[in-house]
Amino acid sequence: MNDQKGILSSGLGRVMRNKRYIFWFWLLNLTLAYFATSGFRRAAHAILDHRFYSERLTHGFDLGVFIAMLMRPEFPPTDSLSVPALCFGFLFFLATALFLPGVFLGYSSTYRLPREEFFRACGRNLWRYIRIMVVAGIVMGIIAGLLFAANIAIVKKAGESTSELLPVKLQFIGMGVIFLVMTTLRIWFDLAEADAVLNDQRAVRKSIAAGFRHTFRSLGRLLGSYVIAALVAIIILLGGIWIWLKAVSPEGVIGAFALSQITLLLLLIPRFWQRGIAVSYWQQKMLVPVVAMKPVEPLPPAPPLNPEPVPVTRAPVA
Amino acid sequence: MNRTIVTAAPQPAAPAKPATPDTAAAVIPDTTIAINSPTPMSQRIVHYEIEAKYDPAKHSVDANEVLTYHNVTGQALDHFPFHLYQNAFQPNSTFVRGSKLMGSRDFHYEKWEDKYHGSEDIKSIEVVGQGDLTQNLQFIAPDDSNQDDKSVVELRLAKPIPNGASVQFKIAFHTNFPETQARSGWKRDFLLGGQWFPKVGVFWHGAWNCHQYHNTTEFFADFGVYDVKLTVPQYEVIGASGVELSNVNNPDGTKTLTYHGDDIHDFAWTVSPRYKVRESTYQAQMGPIKLRFLMQPAHWSQAERHEKITRDSLDRFEQFYGPYPYKTLTVVDPEPDSAAGGMEYPTFITGESSWFMPEGFHLVELVVEHEFGHQYWYGMVATNEFEDAWMDEGINSYTEVKVLDSILGKNTSILNIGGVTVGEREQQRLSYISAADRDPMAQNAYAYLNMNSYGGITYGKTASVLLTLEGIIGEDTMAKAMRTYFMKYRFTHPTKEDFLKTVEEVAGRDLHWYFNQAIYGSQVYDYEILSVNSFPVAWYEDKKDNKEGKDKKGDKGKNDTVYQSYVTLHRKEDFEMPVILEVKFDNDEKVRETWDGKSRWTRFGYQKKAKVISAELDPDHTVQIDHNDFNNAFVVESTSKPAQKISNYWLFAMQWIAQAMAWWAV
Repeated sequence: MNDQKGILSSGLGRVMRNKRYIFWFWLLNLTLAYFATSGFRRAAHAILDHRFYSERLTHGFDLGVFIAMLMRPEFPPTDSLSVPALCFGFLFFLATALFLPGVFLGYSSTYRLPREEFFRACGRNLWRYIRIMVVAGIVMGIIAGLLFAANIAIVKKAGESTSELLPVKLQFIGMGVIFLVMTTLRIWFDLAEADAVLNDQRAVRKSIAAGFRHTFRSLGRLLGSYVIAALVAIIILLGGIWIWLKAVSPEGVIGAFALSQITLLLLLIPRFWQRGIAVSYWQQKMLVPVVAMKPVEPLPPAPPLNPEPVPVTRAPVA
Repeated sequence: MNRTIVTAAPQPAAPAKPATPDTAAAVIPDTTIAINSPTPMSQRIVHYEIEAKYDPAKHSVDANEVLTYHNVTGQALDHFPFHLYQNAFQPNSTFVRGSKLMGSRDFHYEKWEDKYHGSEDIKSIEVVGQGDLTQNLQFIAPDDSNQDDKSVVELRLAKPIPNGASVQFKIAFHTNFPETQARSGWKRDFLLGGQWFPKVGVFWHGAWNCHQYHNTTEFFADFGVYDVKLTVPQYEVIGASGVELSNVNNPDGTKTLTYHGDDIHDFAWTVSPRYKVRESTYQAQMGPIKLRFLMQPAHWSQAERHEKITRDSLDRFEQFYGPYPYKTLTVVDPEPDSAAGGMEYPTFITGESSWFMPEGFHLVELVVEHEFGHQYWYGMVATNEFEDAWMDEGINSYTEVKVLDSILGKNTSILNIGGVTVGEREQQRLSYISAADRDPMAQNAYAYLNMNSYGGITYGKTASVLLTLEGIIGEDTMAKAMRTYFMKYRFTHPTKEDFLKTVEEVAGRDLHWYFNQAIYGSQVYDYEILSVNSFPVAWYEDKKDNKEGKDKKGDKGKNDTVYQSYVTLHRKEDFEMPVILEVKFDNDEKVRETWDGKSRWTRFGYQKKAKVISAELDPDHTVQIDHNDFNNAFVVESTSKPAQKISNYWLFAMQWIAQAMAWWAV
């Protein structure tokens, strides 16, 4: 428990010491999303800006008016909204992958990492990260696919029972199990990512293997820490929405924007906290200790060479 | 609140004819056991006496039916068509073919499975006085000549039945219920027995009216008396149309329940061993009504919601349209995923719910109110659902808007959670505009382009058309017309002309111009503010002065500038109707104009010491059939708040999704 508390608080400490990373990732998230949603925004302004009917969206949120807007032929088709959204999601994912090595290095440092070192780490580890992500994608994809398929099959089978709640309960249990398994896999690859950067490990298979070994060696401790961080994320999201509903007036566009962005900014913290936990664990358990060598003692002075020739005795040859 | 828990006390036995009469001189009983009226309320054409035994293992019923038919057609009848609705659940039936082609309300046929198969077999049919005529039965397909459809069978008699005489049919039949696909059938250990017995057609306007069962049609039948004995296992909880007269346990582990219905035109029942029952009494205008709620165990906490909306609906319907005369109303919360929810039968309706049903999401209220409304528009005003679906579903959707508006609020009657709202009238309009130009309201229910058009037109358009009619003739006049229509045509089979004529008579106006477009036609209504312009009359004079006058709001000098303003209106579609325009000026002046709406466009001009700040069509918001409500108004000074607000929601959603993806992926 103390160990767990140790990596939890140590991980959070690393995040708090490097708050600028959270800010920059949030700014990146916002900037990319802003461009990705420009089509939606343009269409909404074109349809709503000069109309009385749209007032029902100002003083509340009349879903009927919103649907009516979506049904207008001048509103872009779903594809033209979803494709930029997907592209944005992919770009954000790539950017995260690109800058994450710098974050891991920053979290492991006892000093504020200079910009040059940050970007050097990013560049140096890019190819390693791509390889880790490919492996992670394959492993997580296969396991998630199998788990979801199993969950669907179990729930479908349970649907034949006369208990309406049985499939619902099994669905929730199944989702919980999937969450735990996927979190375990995330721990594995987070440790691998940390090892690749902090150990400057070119052979990523070794980092992946090390991550795997340590994940299952300290599963309870790591999983508990990761789950706590995830629960904090859920609390932040629900809390943000609750405050949005309770404290921001329906007409308050600026207030809603500010609160939504604060929520999204805070939502980044738990995931970075998990990475901080991975770094703490790596430093505690995976760092190969540097063995202190005994100082080399000076050899005694060599005896003077004998001026007399030493007689060579030969053993008799049998 | 008049709530009492009532046990099923046996009532006096109906003075109905015995189940096996032996003469053709039988008459339809004039019982009033099941209604709060001392005399019959309908012209009783039929009397069904059915003894049925339910086999839960096979989901089937073996039954004997004695049908007494009173010929009041004014002519001798030598043949009788019968509906065999359960035969529709066969792979080559018109119902299933239609579902494959057009879509279905509750069910999608991806691959055929044996459990979907339903059947209704007449083992034998005897006409009292004419002997066994089973050999004379012949399947017919009056709507589409589909030789594989067996949902209608015709019986040729050896001797015609003269006008004024009665005839008795003794029918032995076997019904095999399918797993529910539409309105009836089984799911797990639940059964909804709807449209389950051979049912004679309606002789209407000089001919038999007995359509095949289509995926978009419902039913049509004559009023009469029903005496039904149902034998089911003792562990089953049962609910049915009419009043329960007796409940007797049999030595073989079954029980037999006897039901009686007066002035109804169908009989439905349901069984499940897991229903939880809530009962109470409602004091209606004509007498007490026993309310019975059969709830799913996981929905037991919603029983009170079901009861409240039922009571509120009864209250509003009696207040708005007329009395509910029956002594019972059974509300069934059907098996989840059973495709049996949201259905109406006389004195018996099914709702729709789920284990999770937040208070602000009014699905329970919406469905129970809608199905209860059918007790009026179908149950009592028994229009032909095959031919005029808008007269039951549509008129019911209109009254649903009125009733739910009064119970749950105009803009919150469907959803009211966390500031997100939807009202029933808006939902009906959206449903309509999704299929606005596809079909007219006045056409056979099986002739629609597809399921979306059927739903959008019969429900959504009718509700929107009648709400708009309310704006034309006035809300009070419309309310009076609806009440007049109900009271005049209850327990009859009115036509659309009967309804429209009643509205015209009450309104004292010729409304053909409206009915021809809205009900008989598929014209689409869309008028728009095409442009709004204001410029100084003396625009050619000192440009700088004009500019200053424009820029300095509230400047005294501004009021001295005379502006020429124009508002141009445009009829975008083909529905022609007078429209009202309201123009607002920046000196708080308002002007209302009326345009007959016949030409494609018109322009109104004004010369005032003020500029136009907004122009709005239909300022009182009485037109519900408008295809586009956004272009009804133009506000010169734009307000970007709504767009900013929803764009912010979209932005938040995008950012959150991206963060969630990155959480797992890297």
